[in-house]
Amino acid sequence: MRPVVVSLLSLAIALGAAGPAPAQEGAALSPRALNEQALPAVMEKAVDAFIRPGYGRLAKATQALSEATHVLCEKPSEAALGEVQLAFDGVVRHWSTIEIVRVGPVIEGNRFERFLFYPDRKSTGLKQVQAILVKEDETATSVMTIRGKSVAVQGLGALEYVLYGTGAKSLSGQKSGFRCRYGAAIADNLRAVASELSDEWEKPDGIQAAWKNPGPGNPVFRDNKEAATALLGILVHGVETVKDQRLRPFYAGAVAGKIDPGHPKLAIYWRSGNTMPSITADFQALQSLFSVSGMQDLLPADSRSVAGSVNFVFNSVISASKAVDLPIAAALADDEQRRKLDFIALNTQDLLDRLDRDFGGAIGLGSGFSFSDGD
Amino acid sequence: MTRVQGTVNKPVMVDRRAFLKMAGAGWAATLAPRAAFALSQADAVFASAFMAPDGSYGIATLDDRGGIIERVPLPARAHGMTFSPASGLGVAFARRPGTYALIFSPRRAVSPIVITARPERHFYGHGCFSADGRLLYATENDFVGQRGMVGVYDATDGFARIGEFPTYGVGPHDMTLSADGGTLVIANGGIETHPDFGRTKLNLDHMQPSLVLVDTATGGLIEQHVMPENLRQLSTRHVDIDADGKIWFACQYEGPRNDLPPLAGSFSRGEDVRFLSLPEEATVALANYVGAIAVNRQDGLVGLTSPKGGACITVEGRTGNVISTQRLADAAGIAAASHGFVTSSYGGQLGETQSAVAWDQHIVRLA
Repeated sequence: MRPVVVSLLSLAIALGAAGPAPAQEGAALSPRALNEQALPAVMEKAVDAFIRPGYGRLAKATQALSEATHVLCEKPSEAALGEVQLAFDGVVRHWSTIEIVRVGPVIEGNRFERFLFYPDRKSTGLKQVQAILVKEDETATSVMTIRGKSVAVQGLGALEYVLYGTGAKSLSGQKSGFRCRYGAAIADNLRAVASELSDEWEKPDGIQAAWKNPGPGNPVFRDNKEAATALLGILVHGVETVKDQRLRPFYAGAVAGKIDPGHPKLAIYWRSGNTMPSITADFQALQSLFSVSGMQDLLPADSRSVAGSVNFVFNSVISASKAVDLPIAAALADDEQRRKLDFIALNTQDLLDRLDRDFGGAIGLGSGFSFSDGD
Repeated sequence: MTRVQGTVNKPVMVDRRAFLKMAGAGWAATLAPRAAFALSQADAVFASAFMAPDGSYGIATLDDRGGIIERVPLPARAHGMTFSPASGLGVAFARRPGTYALIFSPRRAVSPIVITARPERHFYGHGCFSADGRLLYATENDFVGQRGMVGVYDATDGFARIGEFPTYGVGPHDMTLSADGGTLVIANGGIETHPDFGRTKLNLDHMQPSLVLVDTATGGLIEQHVMPENLRQLSTRHVDIDADGKIWFACQYEGPRNDLPPLAGSFSRGEDVRFLSLPEEATVALANYVGAIAVNRQDGLVGLTSPKGGACITVEGRTGNVISTQRLADAAGIAAASHGFVTSSYGGQLGETQSAVAWDQHIVRLA
């Protein structure tokens, strides 16, 4: 590999030529302390007003999906398929809301990946799903046996292919067909995972107690600062995830002056048209957690405007996401829609900076609180 | 610790023609006066990566009091650094899952150059030079094969990548070289990541941390120490070597927060790993997360910092006794000083100097 010079480095020389930086730099980043009194209430609201209801709604949505899918298999019709597809949209919406929580029970036992395996860059998962459909693998038609299979064949991506991929039309005509029974097993699996997640968060002495009562002896947070770091971490990592794992796989923006034509078939949920609704739901969920938890109560009086700025950017990216309303392939081919995607990409970076640096710094988590996350 | 010698007149180990061609004539014009100017500056003793208040990233060279001598902007956040006394070159590695490493000369004997990871690899944030400074080793992720690799780069040929060998583990992080130059000591953190999933840890419930010794001549495995079954979530992440050649390592625990696992330990080649038995208050102070480790060979001391616990703990290497426990909010890097250690913080403190930057996790000693 040949060395590549980054143009910034020439700037380094130019800047350096102006003279050396003094050994004693200016004032330190302003020292801020975490508001320890306000924190427990914030954690409680985050759990009781966002996380628990979020998993509760997901459990209900997956139950509806599972029931609709079984009805379709028993009494196939265009209308029954439509009901399943509507229920699928609902699960995507509720999952996209609560998927921003990537800590706790959801990262145990591969629950996250079992619910959603994405990105599937080399179509490994897709090929596995297609193989199941071609071979009519009966072990994929029961919730008991499907969970032992690859995570890529038992979640939302697999079900989307069953409902919208090549051959999906047969669902509305054939009673108890293999494809439908496979879809029903996936729906049952989603229901089981969602119900486990909700149960874990509902246990009064389980993870919710750990989140609400940081302190010595607590298996998750030994003090308020660790808890505050984890809560802000959901927001920062959530924004980072939308930017790097949801937008970038299908649209990289302008790279070196050239506009990326985009890769619509790498977009999440492109078959069901849920790409932008899901991204919108992600942003709405992040803003909702920020608001309902009352995290702004952690800001010192002189820095309340930081929350206003964060909300301003949230509102902007949510409006822009809603405005990308063509199917994703058409949106990528449309100058105006693509400009909105550019706007979202640019503003997610801004949002990230505001949360990580401005907000994190102001509530006493230091500048760039995410420094100590496993390096 | 010897001082940097002969870096100014030493033949430049970079393909300068190619470099100048890429950098452009405008850049070259700024070089001459600047290089001359740099020589009149104080000798750099340490270097560290930082984030500036405006959110931009860079590396800084520092004098013995921690004052900034010079800054070089970076395109993205850096993490670990290494330095070769033989060649006078330092390297800053991109933070995982980063794809660049920047080679720089604290004395400006060569212009900074950037290398990028090959497409199916990314850097893990650390690396080291061979004893003669002719090769650079970097910990890398073969994310398709889900295994750690050591990328080998030729410092005499523009840092072209000339080969690789496995780290015999998953999620390698820090790596250092034995005094005789024959052995690489690698900390395999045991945590699987994939660039598609950013920094997400993909296997916390089946981690495989290990410490390995690898023969630099053959790339072959000499020794492998896996963590005992009850400490499978103890991620071995940073290493240093003392004057007797004993390897010291520091860990980050991914298990329940109210466990009190051992967080550091040592072993000599051919021996079993021995965990450092710290008093409970010291273990609590480190908050199950040691961010950096350094050995002061002359003083026989081992230093550990924890940003999560806001603490710096110094231990006597021979006995394992705690010599001091200091509170240091957001403690970041640690490196051997003339006596004891120099430490840094995310809040901008480094040694005796407070600067308006957030220091990143590591400090490297240059002289």
